[in-house]
Amino acid sequence: MTVKLNPDQSRILNWRVKSGGVAGVIGPAGCGKTTTGSFLAVKMICEGYAKNVLLVAFTNSAANEFARELSMVLGPEGSKFLCVRCGYAPGADPRLPIPFSNNIEFVRSKKIVICTTQSLKRLSASIRFENMIIDEAGIERLEHLLSPFALGINQLGIHLMKENISYEANNIIELASKCGIVATVVGDPKQSRPIGLADHDLSAMEWVLKCAKYDTLFTTHRLPDRLAMLVDEFADYGGLNSAPEIASRRFGAKYDIDENFIDILNPHEVITWVNLNGNEMMGGPSSWYNEVEAKACIRICRELKRVAPSKSISIVTRYTEQRRTISKYLQHLDVETRVLTTTGALGTQADIVIFSLVRNNPERLVGALGSLQDLNVAISRSKEKLIIVGSFEMMLNGLTGSYSSNPRHKQNFPQKLARLIDKKYGMVVEAPRVLCN
Amino acid sequence: MNINSDIIDVRRTYDYLRKAQTHLVQSSEIATACVCQNLFKLDYPFGATRSDKDYLVANTVHDIMSLCMSGPILENWHSELENCEQITKKIVKESSEIVNTVIKDTLEGAHQENRFVEDDFETQVNDIYNGLIIGMAKRLMKKYERPSRVLTEVTITNIKDHHEGRIDALLEYSSGGYGLLDWKSYDLSNTISGREKWQLIANTLLANFRYCRNEDDWTGHNFSCIVHNGGVYFPKIETTRKGVERIKTNRKFAHMVLCGERVHVQRPKFCPVCDKGLEGSKECLFYQRDARLAHEGKLPAQYEKMTKQFFAKRYAILKERAETHLHKHVVYAMISKHGEEEALRRLEKIGILCRGYSFDFDIDEKVMFSRADDNIPLEPRRIVRIIGMEIGKSLLSCINEQASVMEIRDNKITLSFRSKTAVRRAKRQLFHLPIILLRDELNLTRSMLRPIHQFHKLAADMLIPGELLV
Repeated sequence: MTVKLNPDQSRILNWRVKSGGVAGVIGPAGCGKTTTGSFLAVKMICEGYAKNVLLVAFTNSAANEFARELSMVLGPEGSKFLCVRCGYAPGADPRLPIPFSNNIEFVRSKKIVICTTQSLKRLSASIRFENMIIDEAGIERLEHLLSPFALGINQLGIHLMKENISYEANNIIELASKCGIVATVVGDPKQSRPIGLADHDLSAMEWVLKCAKYDTLFTTHRLPDRLAMLVDEFADYGGLNSAPEIASRRFGAKYDIDENFIDILNPHEVITWVNLNGNEMMGGPSSWYNEVEAKACIRICRELKRVAPSKSISIVTRYTEQRRTISKYLQHLDVETRVLTTTGALGTQADIVIFSLVRNNPERLVGALGSLQDLNVAISRSKEKLIIVGSFEMMLNGLTGSYSSNPRHKQNFPQKLARLIDKKYGMVVEAPRVLCN
Repeated sequence: MNINSDIIDVRRTYDYLRKAQTHLVQSSEIATACVCQNLFKLDYPFGATRSDKDYLVANTVHDIMSLCMSGPILENWHSELENCEQITKKIVKESSEIVNTVIKDTLEGAHQENRFVEDDFETQVNDIYNGLIIGMAKRLMKKYERPSRVLTEVTITNIKDHHEGRIDALLEYSSGGYGLLDWKSYDLSNTISGREKWQLIANTLLANFRYCRNEDDWTGHNFSCIVHNGGVYFPKIETTRKGVERIKTNRKFAHMVLCGERVHVQRPKFCPVCDKGLEGSKECLFYQRDARLAHEGKLPAQYEKMTKQFFAKRYAILKERAETHLHKHVVYAMISKHGEEEALRRLEKIGILCRGYSFDFDIDEKVMFSRADDNIPLEPRRIVRIIGMEIGKSLLSCINEQASVMEIRDNKITLSFRSKTAVRRAKRQLFHLPIILLRDELNLTRSMLRPIHQFHKLAADMLIPGELLV
């Protein structure tokens, strides 16, 4: 094994191999949720705690990430021997050594099975798993958890238990634990929330945190110190910190920065807010885009690629129409940059992240951009530098969904973010003229 | 009207419909409800039925038929020929290339997924195909003249009546008449539920809607039949007409159930599943017992609380299912309000649909289209319905296929179809028409209900005292 675990990860590993039932692990950005999950699966199998383990992710890219981690932990031969990836064939990464199969006999012959939630239906209902690890549960609803749980029901255990226990189970999570299901549910409710879930309803992860034991990973291997502190205070994690080896990581340019971009790409500043007043436009059934911001992002991106060609760049936005607009401009440039929505950005990282805010209107309506989860994802993808592009004044004085009955949604998160960056952790700069048209 | 008010109009329609019920009932679901309303509830909302069976053979035969109908079968439709065996042999011979290609593609796909394939898969497919052709030559070709055109695998959506279905084949006649075929890969004489008949009648209503814009207009309807491995079944005209009322009643019932309304279930005097003790009967009895205990006030409080949680989750999933039909409802609402051309213009402006594409080329499942400008309001991975605009037909009943967006570059868009067969079919009947790409969604909700059913049963096992379970 070449990957080393930090004390948080080791503690969680030791806890979960010895405890049964359903439990949760909260993992803020870059804290190694997938790594912990993969190690846990390997430890269970190698030390005989379980005969087989199911690793479930919500998306194919997250399932591939599991497969990649396992290949690193076990090596190509070991992962090929022990693991299988199943589900939707075109979604599996063919470069990984782990074989793909939906053949039930082949799947039964393997110890670690990797699949997405939606593809579990391709597995026979008769297959059973002694242990399971469910990733990105923050983005799932409780009903999504039941598909993997159903594959962990221990009928024998139920009958044995029924002899001894009183008739008790207050909710689905308790019922699952009593049915012999052993599952570690991993996620971060402050980074994601299922699409379309009502304000008063809980995500799968929130259900687990409410009804079962849980632990938290606090050491991030992605965010440098200033960003980790910002994210910690913004999302109120209560102690998120940078791993010592990356705490002082900063953006470094290989070539001289154009004078128009000196303030924006200042290597000493980890977080920069480029104050820009482009107009928002409606697009699609419920989305928004902002042409001025889109062009500004492209120009910053072009300059970054010129001064630091080896750095990876992601442009993140809350809105699909803005992603489409930026992608359209980007295709004319010979620049490799990922453009992601906050939902798509979950689980990804880049050296430099440009976050396009989009919303800017006279009514000061921030809309869906005001959610804790979306803002948190957008500001926590970057390994070296975060550049926010959009109206500072709009975010500082914007109106969020304070009509919600849920107290956690009453906070004005855009305002909180704007204040934290301006006063403590970053710098707000006026957009140079080259970015304003 | 300026650009912004057009966009606001569409967005308001979306906002309104998001809060409304946008459920559609599939013909197959109506058929289940016609057999027994409890059986429908077993599917929705209970999620108690899902078979582990692999329909590889049946799906392959469907694929073959969908390509051969407008090829060798239509070309050899000679009603004046007396020797059916000769016709059958000729069709089978001329379709061998299609049959072999589809089998090869299916086996390739199965191999890629390492799926189990029976040793005699090819023989089974060929036998069933031959059986269907014999039935058609003997009964159908003799009885009905050669159609002028055949369309296969046509999805028709009738928003007004909350009805959707996929018709295996539509036979069009130059007189304006039409016939409808449904194929089954098994022998219909061995089935007892009669579900197939109800599905056929439900689909016939959709065909009426496609050709006459009114499901009750039978003026163009020539015939509907099921071609199966043992022959052809023609329901009597009286049966069809009488069946329509039952279809409508059960469609309404199914729609109300999907919408979460309390509906009284009418159990038939004889249920072909429960009264025969077939697969699913245990599940049905389980929910009947639950209802009885609840009615008698005997359910333990914890179990009752738990079942409320299960039903809340079930209806959340059903709401998700309804949302997959949202775009179609918006299209219908906009057309009803503004007329087709104006509605399409507004919807195009906001990027719900786009027009003006022409087919460039295809490779395997991938198809490339291009248009004059590079303003393509779609993104990779988005699901679209490719509609071929037909004159005089309502937009949502025109020929269509579903695909996902692979890549967009300048004025070109690459779409990935479900299969190579779908591409071949679309090349025959869709790509020569004016193309519209309409945003669509995949419905992946059905499989999410089954685990809830499993946990519901577990909760009963654990929380209901043994003496009540008897």
